[in-house]
Amino acid sequence: MQSDNTFKEHRDPKLTLKQRRLIKNTLIHAVLILLAFVFMFPFLWMFFTALKTPAELLQGIEVLLPKDPQWENFRVAVTTVPFFMYLKNSLILVFFAVLGTLFSATLSAYAFAKLQWPGRDVLFVVMLATMMIPAQVILIPSYILYDLIGWLGTRLPLIVPYFFGGGAAFYIFLLRQFFKGIPKELTESAIVDGAGHFKIFFYIMLPLTRPALITVSLLTFMFVWNDYFGPLIYLSNPDHWTLALGLRGFQTQFTGRYDLMMAAAILVMLPTIVLFFIAQKYFIEGITFTGIKG
Amino acid sequence: MSKKNKTSSLSGLRKQEKKLGYIFASPWLIGLVIFGAFPILASLFLSFTRYRMVGTPEWIGLANYRALMFNDSIFWTSLWNTLYHVFLSVPLGLFVGIILALLLNSKIRGIGIYRTLFYLPNVVSIVAMSLLWLWLFQPNFGLINQVLSPIYNLFNMEPLGWYRDADLSKLTLILMGLWTAGGSMIIYLAQMQDIPKDYYEAAEIDGANGFQQIIKITLPLMTPSIFFNFIMGIIAGFQVFAIAYIMTQGGPGRSTYYYGYYLFDKMINDNNMGQASAMAWILLLITLVITLIALTLNRFVFYLGDQD
Amino acid sequence: MKKIMLLSMILLVTITLSACGSDEYSDRIEIEFWHQSPVGSDSYSGLRRIIREFNESQDEYVVRGTGINFWDYWDRVNIAIASNNAPDLGYHTLDNVILRAENQALYNISDLIEADIEAGVETLDPTVFLENQLEFATYDGDLYALPFSATTRMLFYNLDLFEAAGLSEDDVPTTWDELYEVAKQLDKVDGNTIEVLGFDPSFGEGTYHQYLWTDGLDFFDEDLNPTLNTERHLEILEWMYDFNEEYPRSALDAFGEANQMLGINPFAAGRVAMMVASDGLYETLRPLGDNINYGVTHIPLPDEDGVRVNWGSGFSIEMYDNGDEDKKAGTWAFLKYLLDYDTQVELADTMGWLMSHIPAMEAYAEGNEILEAFVNELEYAVDKVYVPYAPNWHATDWDQFFTEGLSGAISAEEVLTRARNLYIEKQENYERSN
Repeated sequence: MQSDNTFKEHRDPKLTLKQRRLIKNTLIHAVLILLAFVFMFPFLWMFFTALKTPAELLQGIEVLLPKDPQWENFRVAVTTVPFFMYLKNSLILVFFAVLGTLFSATLSAYAFAKLQWPGRDVLFVVMLATMMIPAQVILIPSYILYDLIGWLGTRLPLIVPYFFGGGAAFYIFLLRQFFKGIPKELTESAIVDGAGHFKIFFYIMLPLTRPALITVSLLTFMFVWNDYFGPLIYLSNPDHWTLALGLRGFQTQFTGRYDLMMAAAILVMLPTIVLFFIAQKYFIEGITFTGIKG
Repeated sequence: MSKKNKTSSLSGLRKQEKKLGYIFASPWLIGLVIFGAFPILASLFLSFTRYRMVGTPEWIGLANYRALMFNDSIFWTSLWNTLYHVFLSVPLGLFVGIILALLLNSKIRGIGIYRTLFYLPNVVSIVAMSLLWLWLFQPNFGLINQVLSPIYNLFNMEPLGWYRDADLSKLTLILMGLWTAGGSMIIYLAQMQDIPKDYYEAAEIDGANGFQQIIKITLPLMTPSIFFNFIMGIIAGFQVFAIAYIMTQGGPGRSTYYYGYYLFDKMINDNNMGQASAMAWILLLITLVITLIALTLNRFVFYLGDQD
Repeated sequence: MKKIMLLSMILLVTITLSACGSDEYSDRIEIEFWHQSPVGSDSYSGLRRIIREFNESQDEYVVRGTGINFWDYWDRVNIAIASNNAPDLGYHTLDNVILRAENQALYNISDLIEADIEAGVETLDPTVFLENQLEFATYDGDLYALPFSATTRMLFYNLDLFEAAGLSEDDVPTTWDELYEVAKQLDKVDGNTIEVLGFDPSFGEGTYHQYLWTDGLDFFDEDLNPTLNTERHLEILEWMYDFNEEYPRSALDAFGEANQMLGINPFAAGRVAMMVASDGLYETLRPLGDNINYGVTHIPLPDEDGVRVNWGSGFSIEMYDNGDEDKKAGTWAFLKYLLDYDTQVELADTMGWLMSHIPAMEAYAEGNEILEAFVNELEYAVDKVYVPYAPNWHATDWDQFFTEGLSGAISAEEVLTRARNLYIEKQENYERSN
C-alpha cells in the first residue's frame, strides 16, 4: 500500500491527497481495532485471572474484574519458585538454540537453494519427510539414543542437535525460499567480481535476508522458550529446569492455582511479546538494488 | 557485463558446487545421520512389533498394519476427518494469513501495536484461547450466534450448533484455528521486505494503483513464502490434534477425532506403541504423497533468484 | 561471527562441566525418587521435609526426590520405564501394575517382605491396606507394588441450597427414587436458563460404570469379554440420559459449558446442589472455608437391593528393577518409611490425598466429618479392572459414544451396541497381535 490510489475509481475529486489518506487510514484503523479486540480477549482473561484470590477463582468470571486485585500473585509466582535460576536456564537453552539454528539452517538452506549437487532434490524431500513423522513416536528411541551417548541428565540433548539441523527442517525450508527469492542481479555481479559461494553467502545472502533471519530467530526463541516437554524429558536435574517447565509446578492435581499459573504465564510471555514488538520494526523497508551494489 | 564473461565464471562455480553442496548441507546431513536416523528407523522397526512401552518389543510382522487397515473402524474415521481438515484449513489459512499480512504491511501509526496484538494468540496459553473460542462459538450464549440471531429469525432456522454439531464441528475447529494465522503472517511480512523497492517505483511511474501493485508485484513475489506456508500447512494439518483435544475431545461422535489424536490415544491410553508407530508411518506415506503432488506447484512459484 | 562461535563454545563447555557438582551426603548410596510435588506446589516443602527426615535417620542412603507436576508426570515416568531409565522409586497408577509386573519392570515386594521376616527385621504389614487395592498390586500371587494413595467417590450435597429449597440433611437421598425427588425440588430455572440444577448423573465424577456397579453389573464379564448387552445396562444408561429430560439438551449443554467457561467447579459455585465427586473436591473446596456448607454421603443406590460401591482409584508406589542390589535395599528401606503409620499421616496432611494406610487415615480424619465419611467409604471402593486390550475402556473408548448419546444424536441402545462393537474389535486386534 505504497500509494494512496486504492480508491481511485470512487474518489471524490474535491478531496485533497491528504484528506484521502486520512479517510483510508481511519478505515484501516477501524477494521484493525475491531479485530484487535477479539484477539486480545485471551490475554485480558489471563491478566484478570492472575489478579484473583483463590476464592474468586472458584466463583468464576461472572465478573471478569477481580474485586481486590492481587498484585501480590506476581510476587508470589516469582518467589515460590527459583524464578531467576529458571530464567537463566531458559536463556542458556534459547541462546544456543537460536545460535545453532541460525548456523545450521542458513548453511543448509543455501545448499538447497543455490547449489547444484547430486542427490539434492531427493534429500530435500527427505528433509520434508522428517517433519511428517509425529514427534511422539520417535520420542522413546531418541531418549534411548541420548542415554547411549551418555547425555541424559545434561543439557546437551537440548543444545547440540540445534547445531546439526535438529528441528531445523522448517527453518531450512523457509530460508531456502527466501534465498531463492533474492534477485539474481545481486548475486551475479558478485560472481563476476570473482566471489565464491562462501562470500556470496556471507556478504549478500545473509544481509539481504535479514527479515527472514529475524523471523527464524524469533520463532526458534519462542519454541525453545515455551517448550516444557523437551526439558521435562531430558533435564533430570531440577537445577537445570527452565521457566516453561518450572512454572508448571503450580499445576497440581486438585488445587490448581490458576491465579499463580496465569501470573507466571504472563511473566513468561512478556519477553516474547517485547521481542516480537522489536523484531517487527525491522519489517518495514524493502530492499533496494542501489544500496547493496556499491 | 558481457555475457561471455558471466558464463565462464558461472561454469567455474558449477564445478565447485558438487562438493560445496555437501559442505554447506553438512550440518543438517550430519545431524540427520547422528540424531535423526536412529529414532526414525527405530520407530519403523517398532511398527512391526508388539510393544506396550515396557519390556522388549516382539516382532509380529505386518499384524499392526493389517489390524489398522482391515479391522479398525476408527482408523478410517480419523483419517477421513484429517483429510477433511487438511483440504479446508490449508487454503483458508493461506487466505487469512495473506490478507492479514497485506493489512498489516500498511504504513500507519501504531502498526507495530496491531501486529503484536494479532500475533498474541500465538503466544497466550491455550486455556485462555479455548475460553475465547467458547465465548464466541457457544451455541446458546456465544457471541457469534447472538450476532447472527436476526438472520436465524429471518430464515426461521435453528441456530447453528458449531462445534456441538457433528456436521459443523470440523469446520468450526478450522475457523478457530484461523486465530493463529498471525503465525504465518510474520513470514509473509518478512518476505514483503525482500521485494525490491525499485519494482514499486517503476510501477508507480507506469500509473499502477495500490491494488494493481499488490496483484502484479506483491503477490507474485510473495509466492515463495506462500508456497512454504502451503507445504508446511499440509504437513502440520495432517498432525492436527491439540485444538480438538482441548475444544471437543474428539467429539461429537468422533467427528473431530483426528488421526494425530487417535495415534496419541493408541500410545498413551492403550500403551500400544507398535500400532502407534505403524500409524505414524502410514501417516508419513500419505503426507509424503500429497506433499509430492503439492510440490509440483513449485513451477508456479516466482523466485527472483531463478529468473533470467 | 567467529568470536560469537568461540564464546559460545567456551560457554557450552563450562556449563557441561559445571553440571557435575557435589553436595552433602556425597558418600552415600543415592536413591532416586520421583513424586508429584514440584517446586511451587503446596506440598513441596512438606514432602521435602519427609524425605529429609529419612536422610537424617540413617547414614547409608540419601534419597533424592524429583517433583514433576501431576499432568506431566505420566509421560515422564512412562518414557523412563520404556527406556530402562526409571527411578528407583516412583508413583504410578494402581490399576495397571500388572502390565509393568509381567514385563519385569518391577521388583517383587513379597520377596522383600519375606526376606525381612527371615532376617528378623521389622517389615511392612500389608494388612493395613485395603484388600481391593492389594489385589491390583498383585501379579502371579506376589505383590509387585504397594498402594500409596486411595481415592474414593461420594455424593456431595450443598446444605445451603437444601435449606433454600426447604429441605434438610434428613432429606439427603440414598436411593435413585429419593435422589430424583430431592433433585427436582432443588432445580431452579429462569425461563430458558438453568440457574441451579439439583443433580445430573453425568456431572462431576458420575460415571456409567460406577452406576452399573451399584446394580451389580459391569462392562466386562469375568473373562474380560465385553457385556453391555442386557436390558438392565440399557435401563441404567437411559436413567442417566433422562434424569433431566424436562430441559432441552441445549439448555443443559449451555449450563455445563457456562461452568467450563467461567472456569468454575459447578458444585463450588453453588450451581449444582448434589454432585458425585472424589475427595479431590474436598481439597478444591477448602479455600472457600465457611462460605459453603456441605456434606457427603455414599452414592445413591438404584434401590434397597443395590450394591454400595464406588470407583476407588489410587496411586501405587513401585520399585523399578534397575538391577542394583545396594540401591534396592535402600529403596526398600525408604519405601517402608513412606508407608509407615506416622509418615502416612504426615503425607495425607501434606499432599491433600487420602493415603493407603487405613488405620493411619482413620486417625488422620478424626474430628473432620467429611474426611471421616471418606475414609469410611474407602471400604466400599473398587478400582476399575485392567483390560489389556482396552486399558482406557472407561474413558477415551467409552466417552465418545456416551456423549453422543447424551446429545441425543444416537439412542442409548445404539451407544451400547457401538461401544460393545468397539471393545470386540479391540479384543480381536489384541489377540491377533499377541
